[in-house]
Amino acid sequence: MKILMKDIFGIRCIALSDGQKLHDLIIDDLKLGNPVILDFSGIKQFASPFFNLSIGQIMTEISEGEFRRLLSLENLDETGKYVVGQVISNASQYHGDADYKRIVDEILDRQAKGEDEE
Amino acid sequence: MSVIFIPTLDDSQDDYEWMFRARETLLLQTDKVELSFLFCQRISPAAVAFLGGLIRLAERQHIVVTVNWQTVTDENVLKFLRHNGFANNFGGKSHGWDNHCIPYREDAVEDPNGVMDYLTDNWIGCGWVLVSEQLKNAIVGKMWEIYTNSFEHGLSPVGVFSCGHHFSRKNELALTVVDFGLGIASNVKEFLKSDPRSATLTSSACVEWALQKGNSTSNLKVARGLGLDLLRSFVTINKGSLELYSNSAYALMNKDGVTIKDLDVGFSGTIVQIKLKCDERLYRLKSEVPS
Repeated sequence: MKILMKDIFGIRCIALSDGQKLHDLIIDDLKLGNPVILDFSGIKQFASPFFNLSIGQIMTEISEGEFRRLLSLENLDETGKYVVGQVISNASQYHGDADYKRIVDEILDRQAKGEDEE
Repeated sequence: MSVIFIPTLDDSQDDYEWMFRARETLLLQTDKVELSFLFCQRISPAAVAFLGGLIRLAERQHIVVTVNWQTVTDENVLKFLRHNGFANNFGGKSHGWDNHCIPYREDAVEDPNGVMDYLTDNWIGCGWVLVSEQLKNAIVGKMWEIYTNSFEHGLSPVGVFSCGHHFSRKNELALTVVDFGLGIASNVKEFLKSDPRSATLTSSACVEWALQKGNSTSNLKVARGLGLDLLRSFVTINKGSLELYSNSAYALMNKDGVTIKDLDVGFSGTIVQIKLKCDERLYRLKSEVPS
């Protein structure tokens, strides 16, 4: 399947809801092992929420190997490549469910350090 | 009817603290309220965005607020409020357009295309920074991150308010985005509420955590938390600044690093102000740097 992004999203790939829409459009094909090509010709504005919900979400649903083998992004401009790169790097470090206790420990630790400095 | 006298409101911490106290005062009123500008000799775009949003918040609570335009006696304040469209929204007269003003804008609901057109045409596209079309698009894409944060995490009952200005003397382009939602610290505490110790976290410590790359209070089971990091990298490179007021925390991010502290007074919501230097030499995509 090849998708000309401009036909669906206009000149902007920025919104969370559009990212979810793209995810829903291609996830079944990817899960069936069918290659998907996303052609970004004509897309001028990019932002991370769109890619978090599309590509970032897909990375939690198929293996990294399948992701690299099946999904191709074509004609991204320099900004698009940068945003996608950041999203993929961030998603690859994502561990799913948050460890709330660890986060509170971390914030309390910083808070204590801040108080010591005052 | 009670009267709230708006003082001169610049960009100092005292000015923001006055606005937060005014919010508390206004929302306690049960009668009609008049805003008087008799003692106001200057007003910042951030204050314009905040006051506009505050009036809408009060209206939502059935408090009738009117701006007494007879009291706007300072010519520059009057011009500013007329030129940026604030006056037109609150019973005053419009006054053509000053191309140094980035219009006052209200977004009751998320409107990505409306916001991006505003940023592209009225903010970065007004010609104060001469950059390529591609770079212009890259900059507004980063600014969208502020709006999407406000809409998704802010849960503001009245939406999001913006206003900006081009400051000729400082050669600086400013834009402020305000929401009256929960605020960052409250969001973080809500996110962590399963641990009872979360109630003891300070606003500044919560904001410090939220500003780190990859940290997010989103309940969507996907990686998030890139928006503010992308913006911070951008203002650092461009020698601008990113300021944030949320609950009782204040954060400043610029080329010198990040400063975060707790204030004596706060508000339920978030103000983000970005200031960019209008110097083309500071704006280049990698592909635009001569090899």
